[in-house]
Amino acid sequence: MTPRALSDMTKARTFLGYLRADGGVGVRNYLLVLSITGLTGPVARRVARALPGARLVTMPYGGGLLGEDRAVHLRALAGFGRNPNVGAVLLIGSDPPKVAALAGEIRAAGKPVAAVCLDDCGHDALTLTDRALRAGARLHREISRQRRQPAPLSALFVGAECGRSDPSSGIAANPLIGSVADSVVGLGGRVVFGETLEWLGAAHLLARRAATPEVAAALLQAVLRREAVATRQGLDLLGDNPGPTNIAAGLSTIEEKSLGAIAKSGTAAIAGVLGIGEAPPAPGLYAMDAPAYSPESLSGFVAAGAQILLFSTGVGNSYVSTLAPTIKLSANPEAARTLAEQLDFDASALFEGRQTIGDATAALLDVVVDVASGTLTWGEVLDEGDEVVSRLGEAL
Amino acid sequence: MTTGTGALAVPARPQPLADALQLHAGDNVATALRALAAGEAARVGGGGHDLQVGLSQAIPLCHKFALVAIAAGAVVTKYGEPIGRATRDIAPGEHVHVHNLVSARAEDGGS
Repeated sequence: MTPRALSDMTKARTFLGYLRADGGVGVRNYLLVLSITGLTGPVARRVARALPGARLVTMPYGGGLLGEDRAVHLRALAGFGRNPNVGAVLLIGSDPPKVAALAGEIRAAGKPVAAVCLDDCGHDALTLTDRALRAGARLHREISRQRRQPAPLSALFVGAECGRSDPSSGIAANPLIGSVADSVVGLGGRVVFGETLEWLGAAHLLARRAATPEVAAALLQAVLRREAVATRQGLDLLGDNPGPTNIAAGLSTIEEKSLGAIAKSGTAAIAGVLGIGEAPPAPGLYAMDAPAYSPESLSGFVAAGAQILLFSTGVGNSYVSTLAPTIKLSANPEAARTLAEQLDFDASALFEGRQTIGDATAALLDVVVDVASGTLTWGEVLDEGDEVVSRLGEAL
Repeated sequence: MTTGTGALAVPARPQPLADALQLHAGDNVATALRALAAGEAARVGGGGHDLQVGLSQAIPLCHKFALVAIAAGAVVTKYGEPIGRATRDIAPGEHVHVHNLVSARAEDGGS
């Protein structure tokens, strides 16, 4: 928690990770128990409990999805399986063709996958449990043979998020994440930020950072589209924004409020706008057009392949990803004092004028490298994580 | 940063380097890191250069004050980006908020 000199590994621009067949590097080596339908969630929970250390992700729906909703659902499932933090996947589903298609997509990343289907078990949950547990146990043992090896920091893909912000977020914690994001991009890594709603009123400023005119247009379009969604529901997002609480806290304009949130993205050029769970095609900084709610936002990053998340909060926010270690930081001195088992990084020295942004950046980057190499976050220790995939439309 | 006092040195809480933060070197406002009193000479950090600004008004925590004279109609910048326009002349050390700063978006009737 205390600022310190850069670790030798940070200086050497390496971390210790799990090298994957597709060139990715995991910061964890999880067996993922992935239930892809609501029907198989209870079996998946039973199996995951029986395999300590396995990570559980259950999709509570599955049938009758349409259009973009269906596309996001399938992309997220494949993305969780392909995330470098996952060493092997136990797929549990109902319908054999759907399970086989997904297994094929994940195997294409060179990853061991075992698939079991309710249809093949006479729709007997106990038979499914037996087969899934045996298959999962074999995978779990198999991936335990893997060892961490030095990997370049350019292999990192970091997601930037904020939740339950307060005035310290926009002034200290978010600019600090942005500064680390600049470092990661500068080292050849990938960074993604999302929460489209928070670009409101500053989209034109964000667009000036776009790498191409097409990206600029996509950024502006993303905000307009979300504004239109709100308008259709009778909401006026700009009418009273910043609101009285914001104004009392010192925020004067919507641009200022949004820039405080966008500060998480740093200053690099924006290489592209991604859909929910869409993997970036190359290194650099990306914007994900997605809901701002943290569980959905984080899962979008993880499905896109982010191995590690930087999550700023003002007054505290316990939620983390289950597949990507989530480094929680706050610059609020009170939160830093009272949430010692939630916050992985205390940025209050920056907010109190006791530390420079440069020193804080070095210290946080060091924590990123440390966590990437295996040190547990509080969210991992306490198992606060989950994955939640956005629904974008009605099902049949 | 801390001053040791021989063998009995205890880790002292480092003294603040700054009373306010300039989030980008080109910004014409800074944000107060504590409640600042009228008449104080605020030490402004973050911009990569030492700056002291005498405050003509009290500045609440996280509120902004002008680092330089900002003419009516001029762009106010924070994070190196425009956050709106001054609606009247603002002197260095003066509070900058909704009474003298308006969103460019509100001014244009939206964008």
